[in-house]
Amino acid sequence: MEFKLEAHRIVSISLGKIYNSRVQRGGIKLHKNLLVSLVLRSARQVYLSDPCPGLYLAGPAGSPAAPPQQPGEPAAGPPAGWGEPPPPAACAAWPETEPQPERPADPAPPRVGAAEPAAPVTGAGDALRAGEVEEEEEMETGNVANLISIFGSSFSGLLRKSPGGGREEAEGEESGPEAAEPGQICCDKPVLRDINPWSTAIVAF
Amino acid sequence: MALNQASQLYSGSDRLGPWCSPTGSPAPLSCETGCGEGSWILVCRLLVPTQVSLLSMEEDIDTRKINNSFLRDHSYATEADIISTVEFNHTGELLATGDKGGRVVIFQREQESKNQVHRRGEYNVYSTFQSHEPEFDYLKSLEIEEKINKIRWLPQQNAAYFLLSTNDKTVKLWKVSERDKRPEGYNLKDEEGRLRDPATITTLRVPVLRPMDLMVEATPRRVFANAHTYHINSISVNSDYETYMSADDLRINLWNFEITNQSFNIVDIKPANMEELTEVITAAEFHPHHCNTFVYSSSKGTIRLCDMRASALCDRHTKFFEEPEDPSNRSFFSEIISSISDVKFSHSGRYIMTRDYLTVKVWDLNMENRPIETYQVHDYLRSKLCSLYENDCIFDKFECVWNGSDSVIMTGSYNNFFRMFDRNTKRDVTLEASRENSKPRAILKPRKVCVGGKRRKDEISVDSLDFSKKILHTAWHPSENIIAVAATNNLYIFQDKVN
Repeated sequence: MEFKLEAHRIVSISLGKIYNSRVQRGGIKLHKNLLVSLVLRSARQVYLSDPCPGLYLAGPAGSPAAPPQQPGEPAAGPPAGWGEPPPPAACAAWPETEPQPERPADPAPPRVGAAEPAAPVTGAGDALRAGEVEEEEEMETGNVANLISIFGSSFSGLLRKSPGGGREEAEGEESGPEAAEPGQICCDKPVLRDINPWSTAIVAF
Repeated sequence: MALNQASQLYSGSDRLGPWCSPTGSPAPLSCETGCGEGSWILVCRLLVPTQVSLLSMEEDIDTRKINNSFLRDHSYATEADIISTVEFNHTGELLATGDKGGRVVIFQREQESKNQVHRRGEYNVYSTFQSHEPEFDYLKSLEIEEKINKIRWLPQQNAAYFLLSTNDKTVKLWKVSERDKRPEGYNLKDEEGRLRDPATITTLRVPVLRPMDLMVEATPRRVFANAHTYHINSISVNSDYETYMSADDLRINLWNFEITNQSFNIVDIKPANMEELTEVITAAEFHPHHCNTFVYSSSKGTIRLCDMRASALCDRHTKFFEEPEDPSNRSFFSEIISSISDVKFSHSGRYIMTRDYLTVKVWDLNMENRPIETYQVHDYLRSKLCSLYENDCIFDKFECVWNGSDSVIMTGSYNNFFRMFDRNTKRDVTLEASRENSKPRAILKPRKVCVGGKRRKDEISVDSLDFSKKILHTAWHPSENIIAVAATNNLYIFQDKVN
């Protein structure tokens, strides 16, 4: 249980760091963002594998349109809404408002991987599993919403579904598509077509 | 306190540290003594001159006088003054520092003189220049910091000194030369440089060189730009003295000093799909003697040794150094603390030393599966990794250095502590670079961090450590026991105590 709380806290801190790195002077540091995304992954794995039925930690409070933080404004701690149990209505609303399409060939499929029952097989195992899947869905969609609110306009790149997703460009890649994605982008065209929010953080812009 | 007052504060009596034994004869000022057989004294504490003094220096006043008088005691440090790299040249006569404001300050060792024997070993400002300016990349809407990431000296081949300095994107070759003569007696110009009216020129004379006050000038000779998409973290001069390499997060380029519009890409670890990125290059260095060999370290805690003769693109390593992870130490932050922040060849070329967040490791080039020595720098931080992650300290990149004989290694820590490990005697010491110990010739007292239980009188507890005071950059004189330690905007120079 403590692990879950700790993991949750670390996730919040990490997302805050990723946001802050965008407004940092000198551009986004690839190394630091990679390390933060690795921590994010570890924390997520712990979070999802630690069975805690009945505890809703994920998702912003019942206002999906949490006021998007302006890029110029440094994130003060975890994004608003973490740590508050969402009302059931909001939970149901999430799958509808979720803008991202699912990609079947997800390299790091959170659903498939984490849906393995880590919960003990009891009489209520099924209910538990359902609860868990729903919970991790909360985590996912909650995360997406937070990422949306954090990254503001630049998130439009995440939502743009381009058929050439994943295709790498030739060496002369510094110009062109990057201009379409405002913000300080240090590495070349981020492959944001695959909209797994976790790997999005890793791609680090 | 200004540097010229330092000698007046010298006191004749020296207290011996508790862990060194008095010797009847002066300890030899050579690198064979190691760190356990002597104690360290403060030679001088130098402050980088501020921007104000730089402007004054351009007004054609005697450079040395200005430099000395501007070494004032500042109670605050502007961020631009924070030292970001320190490097001795190959003879140890010069010491270069780079700072966050893009400036390079070069200190020169005081010459030995009979009158002031104890002033030998002090370093005075020799030259200051603005190496890099902040830039803006309009295509990417990206500001490029002017912070000097690394300085590397070229071996001296004539009267001038050459060094490479780099920020995140551009490497520059600077020539630092002395001018102590000036031509006088031009025919077409008068003494102030104004053109003369040709009608007034009736005689022809040969200009002569007359002595003038010493002036040290720095000129940029080459600018190596536009070759790095990511942030440059290392530069290394090759032993052939004709080429050097620059490394960023994903690529390493090989340059010829004479050619600025082209470079060879010798390492490229960028994956085709950036989502598959798992590691980045964190440091790289050429072998000190074999001009075809270099190493680079990664954020995963591995080191690769490459031979440029094998292929043009050295993506396949010749050797791969990795220590298996200890599963009992696994935590959220295992990956971060295993990321290598610095890699250095020993002077002999037989060993490499790597620094990760908590340890320094020495590797034998002939053994790839584990390091031959591991030294704990500040293992008491292992239980505090979460807080250090929160305040970003876990991302600090500490450097490490060898002494001239490869018998002692040194690295920095927090609270302005730095540590030395003697590889032969296995003794280690923790010293502090602080204003409190700033009396010249004061002997450094070894410090100790109390990890738990009862704290002894002189010990400091882990929770009292000041994590904003970190020593990331240190340098060791190539042949003597003189070290330079950068603490924020202060440069401390310590040397081996001589009786």
